[in-house]
Amino acid sequence: MFLYGFMQRAFQASILISLIAPMLGLFLILRRQSLMADTLSHVSLAGVSLGLLLGYDPTWVNILVVVIVAGILEYLRKVYRTYSEISIAILMSGGMATALVLMGLNDSGATVSIQQFLFGSIVTISVQQVWMLLILTVVIIVLYSIFRKPMYTLTFDEETAYTAGLPIQFMSVMFNILTGVTIALIMPIVGALLVSAILILPAAISIRLSKSFNGVIFIGIGVALIGMIMGLMGSYYLGTPPGATITLIYIAIFSLIAVFK
Amino acid sequence: MKAGNRMQYIKVDDLAFHYEDEPVLENICFEVNAGDFAILTGENGAAKSTLLRNILGLLKPTKGSVTLSKKNTEGDKLVVGYIPQQVASFNAGFPSTVLELVSSGRYPRGKWFKKLDKEDKEHVKKSLESVGMWAMRHKKIGELSGGQKQRISIARVFAMDPDLFILDEPTTGMDVDSREEFYKLLQHASEYHDKGILMVTHDHEEIRHYANKHIELIRKEGSPWRCFSMDSCKERSKHPSSFH
Repeated sequence: MFLYGFMQRAFQASILISLIAPMLGLFLILRRQSLMADTLSHVSLAGVSLGLLLGYDPTWVNILVVVIVAGILEYLRKVYRTYSEISIAILMSGGMATALVLMGLNDSGATVSIQQFLFGSIVTISVQQVWMLLILTVVIIVLYSIFRKPMYTLTFDEETAYTAGLPIQFMSVMFNILTGVTIALIMPIVGALLVSAILILPAAISIRLSKSFNGVIFIGIGVALIGMIMGLMGSYYLGTPPGATITLIYIAIFSLIAVFK
Repeated sequence: MKAGNRMQYIKVDDLAFHYEDEPVLENICFEVNAGDFAILTGENGAAKSTLLRNILGLLKPTKGSVTLSKKNTEGDKLVVGYIPQQVASFNAGFPSTVLELVSSGRYPRGKWFKKLDKEDKEHVKKSLESVGMWAMRHKKIGELSGGQKQRISIARVFAMDPDLFILDEPTTGMDVDSREEFYKLLQHASEYHDKGILMVTHDHEEIRHYANKHIELIRKEGSPWRCFSMDSCKERSKHPSSFH
């Protein structure tokens, strides 16, 4: 199976996503923003549709749209502090609706089907996409190693972080933007419906396995590698959709740990 | 007690705070200086925590002002150690060992982007020992009891070694002996190390011997419900032990 170029690229992408997912996922979970990933992936459907409609490179238009919305989310998180799901409900359905309307308006060519973006196509990934993922992975690893301590303090408790002199607002917005960019790049690969599962589940599993903060990240990377690679191989042999297969493997690992721990 | 011009760390000047239109705090003035061990008391619902949050900048006063000193007595940046009210704030699901959390107290000491050195680790060890939690350092914080979580929150602030302590009922649930120990430690910090301390507490009877300043929030006669004010506001006595 490794003789096929598309499978090689799929494996390369999977390994890169496995490195990113636990870092972002852990902070998303601890900041109670697990659903934000889902919201942004729906918004990024709209971003892609807008790019296609305007005739620009959908990747860049998408990144721009998602980054703007990630900023708006931080604002809404403030306004509806006690009911923060409201902003998620509004933006998730809004993103989906916008995507569908934009695709309806786009009658230039029947080439693009929403299906491809909903369910992803890890096996049709291009060399350019692998490169962009690689750059993103390097950026995230560098940022994580530089800002690990401030992020630890911020996620433990925002108020004590503020009194310790951290620019909490700025950090929150930057984190959301980084999440947005990641989702915009990963969404076409794994599909809008499963982006958040792939980002959140490895960290959700490893939180139960590790006592320490760093441990969660390392174990999370291991879990993500197992899930992504097994899922990809499974989908190759069984002919099932890759994103869904990966997610089911994560959920199986999660259930096993829930039963035995 | 060191005499003379001690440095002013907190100055609250005619502060008022309203939730929406409801006045919660009104004409409050006091100061906390380096070397002060000040306690803040008042009946339930007297908005003591709200006052602390105004001082810390987490809430904006409706009227009046709060000034926090920028520098400490040595001319370096003032480091503030805040312990919020326990139950409300402790993030129990957070994946971290006790040691990691208490070590994070050292980060604001110029260690956001640097490795902790020997001195930092010594501080962390001492502060864990001072609350009797060194043996538990490899435990996951989520597995601790309520009292133990409280102790490591205290250890985290001790590790930080701040110039100004702002503590919101840090002794809730402690037994009498632990409380005595804790007060002694704070008294020592203020007297010998010139730390400023502002602590919300209920047990002002037993703390009498340790603190040197008492700020009490009371409700004025005939004023609307939930309107409180400082009785010592007018007097502004410089007398250190103005207990009531």
